[in-house]
Amino acid sequence: MSRATQNALVREDRGGYEAVAASAVGLSGVVFAVGLATLVDIVSITTPVGNGTLSVALGAALLGLGLGTSGLGLASRLGYVDASPQPSAGVVAATAFAGVWFVIGAFAAQEAGLGTPGWLAIGFVSGAAAFLLTALRREDVGSTLPAGSVAVLFGVALVTGFAGPGWERVLVGYNATLFGDTVIPVVTMVASLLTGWAAAKSYGGFGARGRNIGAYVLIYLIVLSILAVLVGLLAFVIIRGLPGLLNGVAVGGDQLLRWPFLTNGASLLAEVPGVFPALIGTVWLVIGAVLFAVPTGVGAAVFLSEFAEQGRFTGVVEVATNGLWSTPSIVFGLFGAAFLIPRFGNQKSLIAGMLTLGFMLLPLVLITSREAILAVPDEYRDASAALGVSKWETIRSVVLPAAIPGITTGIILGVGRIAGETAPILLTTGGGVLPGRSAAPNVLGGFQLSASPPFVTNPALLEATSALPYQLYALITAGLSGNIEDPQQFAWGLALTLLLVVLLFYAGGIATRYYFRKKLHQ
Amino acid sequence: MSQIDPENAAEQENRANDQSVSTTDGETVEETRPEWTEHDTDAETKLAVEGLDVYYNDDRALNNVSMDIPERSVTALIGPSGCGKSTFLRCLNRMNDRIRSATVDGTVELDGTDIYDGGVDLVELRKRVGMVFQSPNPFPKSIRDNVSYGPRKHGDIETGVLSRLTGRDGSEREAELVERSLKQAALWSEVRDRLSDNALGLSGGQQQRLCIARCLAVDPEVILMDEPASALDPIATSKIEDLIAELSEEYTVVIVTHSMQQAARVSDQTAVFLTGGELVEYDDTERIFENPESQRVADYISGKFG
Repeated sequence: MSRATQNALVREDRGGYEAVAASAVGLSGVVFAVGLATLVDIVSITTPVGNGTLSVALGAALLGLGLGTSGLGLASRLGYVDASPQPSAGVVAATAFAGVWFVIGAFAAQEAGLGTPGWLAIGFVSGAAAFLLTALRREDVGSTLPAGSVAVLFGVALVTGFAGPGWERVLVGYNATLFGDTVIPVVTMVASLLTGWAAAKSYGGFGARGRNIGAYVLIYLIVLSILAVLVGLLAFVIIRGLPGLLNGVAVGGDQLLRWPFLTNGASLLAEVPGVFPALIGTVWLVIGAVLFAVPTGVGAAVFLSEFAEQGRFTGVVEVATNGLWSTPSIVFGLFGAAFLIPRFGNQKSLIAGMLTLGFMLLPLVLITSREAILAVPDEYRDASAALGVSKWETIRSVVLPAAIPGITTGIILGVGRIAGETAPILLTTGGGVLPGRSAAPNVLGGFQLSASPPFVTNPALLEATSALPYQLYALITAGLSGNIEDPQQFAWGLALTLLLVVLLFYAGGIATRYYFRKKLHQ
Repeated sequence: MSQIDPENAAEQENRANDQSVSTTDGETVEETRPEWTEHDTDAETKLAVEGLDVYYNDDRALNNVSMDIPERSVTALIGPSGCGKSTFLRCLNRMNDRIRSATVDGTVELDGTDIYDGGVDLVELRKRVGMVFQSPNPFPKSIRDNVSYGPRKHGDIETGVLSRLTGRDGSEREAELVERSLKQAALWSEVRDRLSDNALGLSGGQQQRLCIARCLAVDPEVILMDEPASALDPIATSKIEDLIAELSEEYTVVIVTHSMQQAARVSDQTAVFLTGGELVEYDDTERIFENPESQRVADYISGKFG
């Protein structure tokens, strides 16, 4: 096995080679993006492109990529360019290629009509061949040829129309069918990832530099696809929800801003049905849960990190809190229904929901507050103790202020979870599917003084209330019927409202954290 | 500086004869003589340490240390790393209480009162015996709040709505105290225009002087400094050293340092700790550096060991 050595500090000019490799990387990126777009139905693979469809065009691009990438590897192997490949592309790459080629081999054998032992054997043979080629040949051949041939194979299949939009296969032994409009984008993305990686390696001349660039391109493409999914999800909800949310919005007139979807109930009389009761319900649920969980959680965290002896007891508490945090929300809901409801007037009530969500929030607030308090440098505590300041005063004036940004992070994450929680609300808070405006809880105005203990009562807290995620769930299970004109639009508007409320809580939390961080460090 | 008394002179003559004993493996290990750690000055004794032993779990960090620290002077503690000098310092205001594994045996008397006595009020003790740490550790608060932190927490200064309503507003007193402490710490001219800025925005040397000001604000009698200049550049170090010299006119300063030059520059008397938590020699700084009685101390100071 020959090994190319490189002694010169400055590489020979290989501008042409690099240009070809760079364009192959670029083309891979474009093909990957188009594949992603077709996968999430932004473009269809039947879209006409030139004389054929997008499917054929993708095939042609893959064919070109495969040939180009293989050519890059061969050019390096035959010594036309100055590269510094290592003796082997490595076990990781070899295993990845073996996996891809196992699938290809097995599938091709099934297409050819082979039975179970047959396709398994062929799959193993082609997987092993890819593994050996990658692992045992020099890096420039080992990382380009297996990738390039995958792309060539897929490209030929798409160009010749062997696989196209109408393609479908029933999976033997599974109750499932593969359709062309899902499979073609996926294979396109896989092949373009492989060629993009291989071309990036050739661009760097293989060796350490090539691997570096290859890994960079691979990670970049994967991160981009994750971001694309996130953006796609948001766009999906926003596009469908906006008409409902903005229904009847008017600026000016007798009111400064008229936003019926957010300020109306869902009664027959309302011109535009709205989600006001559920919106207010969600806001109160979150406020109540935070008011309950933050003081208790932070207090417990202070006790555990500052006062308790670190040992078995704190260890048990830690395991218990971690376990509580991962407890399914329906279990919390059941607890609320079985334990809290009988104690608060034997009916679903706002306060039962607040407390149940508070229990759910508690472990995360406890965990993050504890981490934040432990992260406060001991130097602050020493400095304060050396001034003769008592432990509690030190915690109150130095430790907690320094831990506030971390504690806030925990609250932000927890609120994000509980604000969208459906199961506990379903079991503890209830409320109507389409409540009218008067069903909104009037917590602030609901406090009443009474002559007997507990001296202050609040009927609003003891009534069943709707909340955004619960109303959405109820609408869907109620079959989207009822006395509203366009249930579909209403439900999407509701979903968007819920998303925005959660994001607003997030924004509020992040602003708080930013404020305290700035106060601590400037 | 103390006179060389006849007894000392006689002992010096004997030194070559009896100061070393040979061990079996051929190395010579010197005996430690109790009289080398006796040091008498005309000044009143501020802190009297007697038979101090400190253990961290089973590791002995200090071995039967006794020394008298005179008031209104600078006492330097020097020695190689791990010799127990910081441990000794932290015994003087009971900061070792904060380390769970530490056990302290012996007595430390502050103006004649044993601070390890059961009834001692730690708050009061630490108000009288202040401490400055190795790395500057100002609180992430404004410069003003850093200085007034101690007095506020001790209830000497009240600010805020409630105190204004009850007519006990201490804002003016606070301003005076902040100014006086910062002036004492030679920091006032550098920060007078930005007292409300966060202390973490100051340079390392300024932060350390702020910590000294914070310590001075509670009006201590003794100031313990644990390598206060080791994290600072030469210019900041020289400022701190000048400050220490000034402070010794009013306060009793005990300083741990790694730098023998620093000990020689700032201190009136020097205690040398060597491995094993032993106090080997304690005398006027001049004598320790020019004419130490112990051969091991002489070796340490001339750089042959440690």
